[in-house]
Amino acid sequence: MVTESAHEFETQDLLLNVGPQHPSTHGVFRMVMQVDGEVVRDIIPYIGYLHRGAEKLCETMDYRQGIGFMDRTEYLAAFNAELSYVMAVEKLAELEVPDRAQWIRMILVELNRLASHLMFMGAFGIDVGVFGTPFIYAWREREAIIDLFEEISGDRMMYAYFRPGGLAWDVPTNFVARTREVLTAVNQGIADFDGLLTKNEIFVARTQGIGYVSAADAIDFGMSGPSIRASGVPLDVRREEPYLKYDEIKWDVITEQDGDVYARYLCRLGEMRESVKIVQQCLERLQPGAIMPEKMPRMLRTPPGEVYIRTEAPRGEFGVYLVSKGGNRPYRLKVRSACLSNLQALKHMSVGQYVADAIIVLGSIDIVLSEVDR
Amino acid sequence: MTSEESTEATAPVASLDGTIWAEVDRALSGITATAERGVLDVIVHVPPAEIVRALKALKADATLNFDYLRSLTAVDNEDEGIDVVYHLYSTTAKHNLTVKATLPTDNLHIDTATTVWRAANWLERETAEMFGVRFDGHPDPRTLLMPEDMDDTFPLRKDHPLAEIEVLQGEGMGYADEEAP
Repeated sequence: MVTESAHEFETQDLLLNVGPQHPSTHGVFRMVMQVDGEVVRDIIPYIGYLHRGAEKLCETMDYRQGIGFMDRTEYLAAFNAELSYVMAVEKLAELEVPDRAQWIRMILVELNRLASHLMFMGAFGIDVGVFGTPFIYAWREREAIIDLFEEISGDRMMYAYFRPGGLAWDVPTNFVARTREVLTAVNQGIADFDGLLTKNEIFVARTQGIGYVSAADAIDFGMSGPSIRASGVPLDVRREEPYLKYDEIKWDVITEQDGDVYARYLCRLGEMRESVKIVQQCLERLQPGAIMPEKMPRMLRTPPGEVYIRTEAPRGEFGVYLVSKGGNRPYRLKVRSACLSNLQALKHMSVGQYVADAIIVLGSIDIVLSEVDR
Repeated sequence: MTSEESTEATAPVASLDGTIWAEVDRALSGITATAERGVLDVIVHVPPAEIVRALKALKADATLNFDYLRSLTAVDNEDEGIDVVYHLYSTTAKHNLTVKATLPTDNLHIDTATTVWRAANWLERETAEMFGVRFDGHPDPRTLLMPEDMDDTFPLRKDHPLAEIEVLQGEGMGYADEEAP
């Protein structure tokens, strides 16, 4: 295709294939970019390389077994994914979760949000070209959090620790002290990132004003999480439809107005500070007690019905639509992926930008392809 | 199909008091919609032929303002047809609604909702390839997660086999009668 350019000579558009295996695509994601010189004219994304049919598999497993699939769906924030799933089962089975289990869940999902955002900071630094330092900083603090998760659940990524009704077992006795230690380290890490990137002239020059999406477009595309809050839409499930104990503690929804890549970075940085605040308050409120309901059926069955549970995962709304026709398995389980909806807006955000900037725009959505493809 | 729906159309039952059904019913005037109370949200059943009109009305209504499409998917109810399910949300009024359209198995056609929300684009592509539902007027009807040539088999339908696992577990080897650990 030949297009007129500002120059006197005619240029020919080039089709540039990125991925599916390329470090900048954060997983197995392929996009074909139509470029005019350095400018992106069109993007065709291809996903599905990691499609494993998790939804179909869950239909053949009983409710307890489905937890493992949720871990593998959203592996950077597995606690958040498990939470949506077990909450959906609890809602249908009408299980009351004890207070202690709810507080522990809340601590773990917020710590997982911190770990996930740290991962973003590190990987995003590489996208922007700040190779090395932010990545190692991010890994240092994320490692502390992952170590804590390992002490609790026995696994570093695939925890399978939440159960319909509560938790698999209680946390270790030194849990509160250890979490405080981790929070101190994470606080230092957030300060380091702030100092390293927020006012960094090169970082700001590369991220400010690119990948813009307006509030109206973000809503129309069904975006969620920091990607929509950076466009000035205070959409946060934790605040709008509080679950767990989010309505009992003090925290703020972080929004930014600019809607560009830099705003999405600032949004995540602010959210990390909020997560630390939330965990600190949870630790103060944590009391000894039961972690599972007293009357827990040996085999969990749900009455016929359906529910759509949504929670705020680090990347946005993680929804689980569970349809039951009785029995101990889901009749249909649909995972609403935040990244899938966010990724839909990639073309809208990248067209007209430079090729190098399109990579940053992709990085700023913070995709997990395993969650997109399921 | 529409005549069947209309005979079932009734006034909101008592359990819908205090929900947004009254508002929804007003916005959907002229469309034979029925409602039931779900666990969290009100579920509205709309005839497939009128789905886009209904969704547009729900989005355009000033009070309801369903401007956000949370999720779009389908449920295969085997002989009873395939339900296309829309989960709507209003970012301003902060309320939820589930909209359902039941497609008979011999006519899996429904109009695309991409004209209402751009968010529906990929979600409809996924639903189409997984259930064989045809979204008429879709701007980009390619497969999304599946290979491009895989357009004659629909993995999330109930009649699609899950071969290895079913062989492994076998009939009657379910977990229901086992001792829980």
